Amino acid sequence: MTTIDDTAAPSTAKPGARPGGKPKGPRFLVVQGTLPYRGLQLGAVLLVALLLLWASGLPAFRMGQITNVFIIAIAIAGLNLVTGYTGLLSIGHSAFFGLGAYTTGILIVKYEFAPLSTIPVAIGLCFVLGLLVGLPSLRIHGLYLALVTLAVAVSFPEIVRRAEELTGGAAGMVVRSRFLAPPEWTGLVRAERGIWMFWFSAAVLAVVMLLCRNLVRSRFGIAMRATRDNEIAAAANGISVARTKIVAFGISGAITGLAGSLFTMYMGALSPDGSFTLLKSIEFITGLVLGGVATQIGPLVGAFAVVFLPYLTASYTEGPLAGVVFGIVLIVIVFLMPEGIVGRVGILARKVVHIVPADHPRLGRADREGPPEPARAEQ
Amino acid sequence: MAADGALLTLRDVTIGFGGVTALDAVGFDVQPGQILGLIGPNGAGKTTLFNCITRIYQPNSGDIRWQGEDLLRVPAHHLPKLGIARTFQNLALFGGMSVFDNTMSGGSSQARIGATSGLVGWPPSRSRTKKLRAKAWELLERLDLVALADAPAAGLPFGTLKRVELARALMAEPKLLLLDEPAGGLTHSEVKALGELIVSLRDDYGFAALLVEHHMGLVLGISDHVVALDFGNKIFEGSPEQVKHDPAVIAAYLGRAA
Repeated sequence: MTTIDDTAAPSTAKPGARPGGKPKGPRFLVVQGTLPYRGLQLGAVLLVALLLLWASGLPAFRMGQITNVFIIAIAIAGLNLVTGYTGLLSIGHSAFFGLGAYTTGILIVKYEFAPLSTIPVAIGLCFVLGLLVGLPSLRIHGLYLALVTLAVAVSFPEIVRRAEELTGGAAGMVVRSRFLAPPEWTGLVRAERGIWMFWFSAAVLAVVMLLCRNLVRSRFGIAMRATRDNEIAAAANGISVARTKIVAFGISGAITGLAGSLFTMYMGALSPDGSFTLLKSIEFITGLVLGGVATQIGPLVGAFAVVFLPYLTASYTEGPLAGVVFGIVLIVIVFLMPEGIVGRVGILARKVVHIVPADHPRLGRADREGPPEPARAEQ
Repeated sequence: MAADGALLTLRDVTIGFGGVTALDAVGFDVQPGQILGLIGPNGAGKTTLFNCITRIYQPNSGDIRWQGEDLLRVPAHHLPKLGIARTFQNLALFGGMSVFDNTMSGGSSQARIGATSGLVGWPPSRSRTKKLRAKAWELLERLDLVALADAPAAGLPFGTLKRVELARALMAEPKLLLLDEPAGGLTHSEVKALGELIVSLRDDYGFAALLVEHHMGLVLGISDHVVALDFGNKIFEGSPEQVKHDPAVIAAYLGRAA
């Protein structure tokens, strides 16, 4: 505990060998915005593009599964903003998913909207619902807030069943495939809806992940995380905790609603007990935890896990045992990687590659880290 | 002491909890650039007073003004915008965030935080962020924290975290820095270094500081002016030299019979 002393005499300090700091292992230093960094980014984009091309050649059933993964990933990305980054546990996101899905379904079936033009309406409605659900978060915290969102999740299918005129009630709602044909400009015919939804979901997911990345890196993202970690300190530093929570809930709801909207276009059939119950919320939370809470790629990895793990365990075991094995796999993953798959990989990756922001003050003086000179002498 | 030009003015601040009067008509001024030490034995009301200024408690009566403006009408998260920043007694850092992001969070009052502009990466908002980042780096350099910039705050040594809190508070470019028992949990030599650091930061950045502190050595060493509380009453106000010999303060600390 001599750190304060270091400050008093910066000229004798040795910032490269801080107390408690492990000796730095071999690390590649990559500076943001430089050629190697851009190269890494480009490589990642190319890799993703190749994987998508490969997946689009899969049989229709597999491709449909992957489309489902993309849609779930969008929903989890929405949940991640409010639960991962802002620290407000929501088990009500099935309602946003459902509201988005039913908005698109009703607008297509009853009002003959083109599928794509329903998306802004679904996003808007879910944003407003998000703001409303976010309101109680100003007063109640933690598990009590989770209970409020639980009420939203439980009441949604009930409301859908009651509003029979609009939603088709318990019998559900079918969106005829002629309404869901790919737009003409794609050059795809109606039978190729699977391919269209695959690429469209992938594109929407990419945009959503980009927006989320921007948001969590922005000052609003700092405000979200600060609110999560310590509300009193956040307020003392000038962050409006109320606004941050409510807006985060709104954006989160809007993104999960967008996923619901895509779900309608993908499935073509909706029923209140099918995909919009509490179980769906649990699925989102499971995916978020498996993939990595408050990580940018966690939602995608988590979506793959929640969609494919049950298939995988079912293929090795039979009957009800599959559910047990699935449960055990979940426990093992959470036990071994409490920070989630992406969180774990991130920790490992940081031991090898160290990404430095371009405005790091020590960069001007030397290319390597291990600051060559002590802190600039003041006074 | 004249109220003219004072940054912070407290008059007759009174607050009670149940039957206990925690503060009874306390009043004093903080002048620009001044380090004011607020001392008193346990239970004297120091932290209560601190919480009244930082808008966590609402006084029952009295007046707290900031350059003439009624502070009791300002919500807590607007204080940094006015130029009032604080540190916490037992540290209140954002454990899951890096030292750099913790520092950046201190600049939240400096420019509008837009969610939409954050989503789309709106260029004007980016250039504001860029300026704040430059300032954050400058403060981290000044406080010798650059090597730890990307380390998560959780898990760093206590003394280091105190400096992170200082960096975060200074991001708000405060005119008044409220320090809640900064020496708590530090060793003797760390306290000395902290005192020197506070004074040199004050000299560089020109803020006034209200220092609520138990550690007499620190208070008497760096304060320009001292206010002593006991059982919610102001029992002394004057220079650090005078306070050492003030019978009321000595009695409060050592007991009346002494």
